[in-house]
Amino acid sequence: MKSSVLKVSHLAKKIKKLQIIHDVSFDIREGEILGFLGPNGSGKTTTLRMIVGLSKPTGGDVTICGHSLKTDYVKAMSNVGCIIEGPDLYGYMSGYKNLELLANMSEGVTKQDIDDAVTLVGMEKRIHDKVDVYSMGMKQRVGLAQALIHKPRLLILDEPTNGLDPQGIHEFREIVKKLARETGISVLVSSHLISEVQLMCDRVSIINKGRIIKNASVEELVSTGQVVWTVDQPLKAQTFLKERFALDTVLEHQTLTALVGVDRLPGINRTLVEEGFKITYVDNKKQTLENLFLSLTDNKSIQ
Amino acid sequence: MYKKIIWPVIVLIASLLALIFLSGFVYSVFITTGDDELPVDEQAVPTDDTTEEPIAGMPEEAIGERSVIDPNPEEWETVLVMGDSLGSGVGDEDGLGFDQRYLELLSQDDSLERELTNISVPGFVSSQLADQLDTGEYDLDIETADLILISIGGNDLNRLYFQDNETMIAEFDETLSAFLSNLESVLTTIRSLNPEAQLALIGLYDPYNLEDQEINRLLLEWNHASRLAASADARLAYIPTYEAFQYHLADYLSDDLFHPNGAGYQTIAESLYQVLN
Amino acid sequence: MTALTRNELLKMLLKKKMLLILFFLLIFVSLFSYGQQYAYERNLEQFEAETGEELPDWRDLADRRLDDLESRRANESIPENVRTSFDREIQQLTYFIENDINPITPTAFSFNTEFAEQGIVLFIPLLVIILAADLVSGEFSNRTVKILLTRAVPRWKILLSKFLALFMMTTILVFLVAVLSTLVSFLFFGEWGINEPVLTGFTLSEGTLMSDSTILISRWRYTILIYSLVWFVSIVIASITLMVSVLVDSSSSAIGILMAALIGGQFLQFFLADWELVQYFFVTNLDLPRYLTGSFQPVEGMTLTFSILTLAVWAVLSLIIGFVQFSRRDVLV
Ligand SMILES: Nc1ncnc2c1ncn2[C@@H]1O[C@H](COP(=O)(O)OP(=O)(O)OP(=O)(O)O)[C@@H](O)[C@H]1O
Ligand SMILES: [Mg+2]
Repeated sequence: MKSSVLKVSHLAKKIKKLQIIHDVSFDIREGEILGFLGPNGSGKTTTLRMIVGLSKPTGGDVTICGHSLKTDYVKAMSNVGCIIEGPDLYGYMSGYKNLELLANMSEGVTKQDIDDAVTLVGMEKRIHDKVDVYSMGMKQRVGLAQALIHKPRLLILDEPTNGLDPQGIHEFREIVKKLARETGISVLVSSHLISEVQLMCDRVSIINKGRIIKNASVEELVSTGQVVWTVDQPLKAQTFLKERFALDTVLEHQTLTALVGVDRLPGINRTLVEEGFKITYVDNKKQTLENLFLSLTDNKSIQ
Repeated sequence: MYKKIIWPVIVLIASLLALIFLSGFVYSVFITTGDDELPVDEQAVPTDDTTEEPIAGMPEEAIGERSVIDPNPEEWETVLVMGDSLGSGVGDEDGLGFDQRYLELLSQDDSLERELTNISVPGFVSSQLADQLDTGEYDLDIETADLILISIGGNDLNRLYFQDNETMIAEFDETLSAFLSNLESVLTTIRSLNPEAQLALIGLYDPYNLEDQEINRLLLEWNHASRLAASADARLAYIPTYEAFQYHLADYLSDDLFHPNGAGYQTIAESLYQVLN
Repeated sequence: MTALTRNELLKMLLKKKMLLILFFLLIFVSLFSYGQQYAYERNLEQFEAETGEELPDWRDLADRRLDDLESRRANESIPENVRTSFDREIQQLTYFIENDINPITPTAFSFNTEFAEQGIVLFIPLLVIILAADLVSGEFSNRTVKILLTRAVPRWKILLSKFLALFMMTTILVFLVAVLSTLVSFLFFGEWGINEPVLTGFTLSEGTLMSDSTILISRWRYTILIYSLVWFVSIVIASITLMVSVLVDSSSSAIGILMAALIGGQFLQFFLADWELVQYFFVTNLDLPRYLTGSFQPVEGMTLTFSILTLAVWAVLSLIIGFVQFSRRDVLV
């Protein structure tokens, strides 16, 4: 098992007597992309701010690569790159100057590192223009470059695709995925865009009203455990499955649906074929993350 | 470009300037407080020129210490007052003037009967005082006096106040040197008649308390020059009044806002007492 | 630390604040010099019109005074210290006569000190405030503080680097005030007056101003002295501004607060001069050069040392508060 790059334990935050974050815990392993999902005002940004040291937790601790943020701030932070709520840069200088400036603040960042980051986010052409004249998307790109120049092991992105066009979102996603795959960087990305999280992340933490209500892999979340068959003789197949595998199936428009463990599926399918059934379609039935998200965050009984 | 040239240049310039400013700063503190230990009272011993760290090439020294031969007030039987309106006590509600108030202070120490002669004429400028003495009319008074109090110069300087700044500055030097030579002549006359008497010259205060730094500077310069002139005679004491009046004009000035009132004269008398006794 | 300070200095340069400040300075200095030149000429004209004659030749007066001084100096009975004081005055006069300068003509070097003396309570602090007010609050209002504070650098180092950069820029600013006021006024007056002798060094002894200990120094040295005091005051103002900049969210409120303090402080000084606490307010103590010129003091018994100590305490306290608050503050922008 890979070591955990970020470990958040029992984090809590109170602002002006209002408990905004209650006991949030999760962790991220190396090379993993964790989606941080939650509706507006659920406390995503507040949590991420505490993780990057911008605000102090009123309870709990954050450990980055084994260094506690409380007691070992500098070592912990040297492993973090982040964009919190928008890519805010110095408007009165060029994107490149911005990067140079920030590179100076970390040990051992070379000119090559800056150029690499710029190439990675595809800003070579405009990097020497003033940030003031950049479009939102360009700022997002330079923002990402800014978070990457010092080669952090943990990347924290708060709604990074705000203001990007579909093409931009796609590119952005591919960049992040590629980074995680090739450099083993771990990513914590917050979003309220479910599709984005679904496409990008390995695991998801869902937060609502300052509490984590679900911690799971995307696969786990979307899978319902149900399998759907389309066969030529549905009625016969239904009885066969009942007798041979003790499976209760539902027949609906020529399709059979049953709750079955994924591990049993190959055996069942082989037997069906051997018995002469013609299977035209088999699938794990998935629910959309959106439905899950809505049901989790709307239904107060789940918390 | 920035990293290579501009930055080091700025650091260098800033450090150099900071060093210069810092030493200038320390020096400023030094010259305004450096000789705090110097005696302020009349017992001043002439100091040698080691009180300050000189800036290269410039002679500077703490000067102006009055060297007074110990006066003995117990022997002053005859007191003569000369000069202007201050000498005659204009503005004093009790009509006493600093002379009588001073004698009162003296009488607290001993029971000596003192004889007081006052030949002051209100409005006198220094040249008039010199002329007055030149008539010879008061030779006898001067010869017999043990203590002579002189108040002069206020009217010389006061004329300048009512001119505009530039003219005032232009004429100041002339007025001051005229005053100094008149003062010298007065002192010469007195000394030729009476080499032994203790003399006291009352310094000027600023009745207008103008915030004009230039005027203030001129007044200080005037007093400074008078004090220097006074220091040429070992038995001539300079009585400062500027400092005492500076912050208490409302308390010390009479209704005409020019002459002292009783309290003001009392202050002068006390300064006299402080310096002479 | 060097890299951080270099960054902060670069930011200050790129914001082009210095250009704005220099522009202000240029306008003010030109107006002031023009005003002085104008007043000087008007006075001369007026004098001639009123008296129908030219100004009495100052050289005659000075010559007479010189003779007088020299004859008295020759007197053997005068004490040594008095003689040296005569020497000092002779020296001052000789200088003016030899260089054929009327002591009352305005020169570039008398102007620069006068400009500093006038500007030290309001104008120069204002320039420093413009320079420093957005140092921290600006980072908050354009939210760049987030990229600044999520680096592997403790917060106190960030603020320290800002202070060091500010220290350097303030130092250079004071120098530029001196240079600009000298150069511009030279254009107006056409005289440098660099070696003219000046009287300074009044001491305050037991509460009263003493003029006995004055010394004679040349103009350019005097200029350095005055600007050293301006420098000290500017650094103090810079520290206070930095604290305010940490405490508030926007640079405009920082500037507002400090301007109110400066102007309000002047009022306080005039109306509440008897109130003892007034003398501990930083604004009351800004006018340090007055201790060198030996002029009127707003509150009785204040000395250069007192003022300097008070200002230093203000600066140190401001820095402490600034650093503590900056390290503790939650960044919620
Ligand atoms: N400075 C503050 N003072 C008081 N309450 C605050 C403050 N900042 C945030 N909050 C509250 O904390 C809660 C969480 O805010 P947060 O910004 O973390 O939400 P979010 O999950 O990032 O929402 P969004 O998706 O809109 O970005 C909100 O209810 C908000 O009102
Ligand atoms: Mg948010």
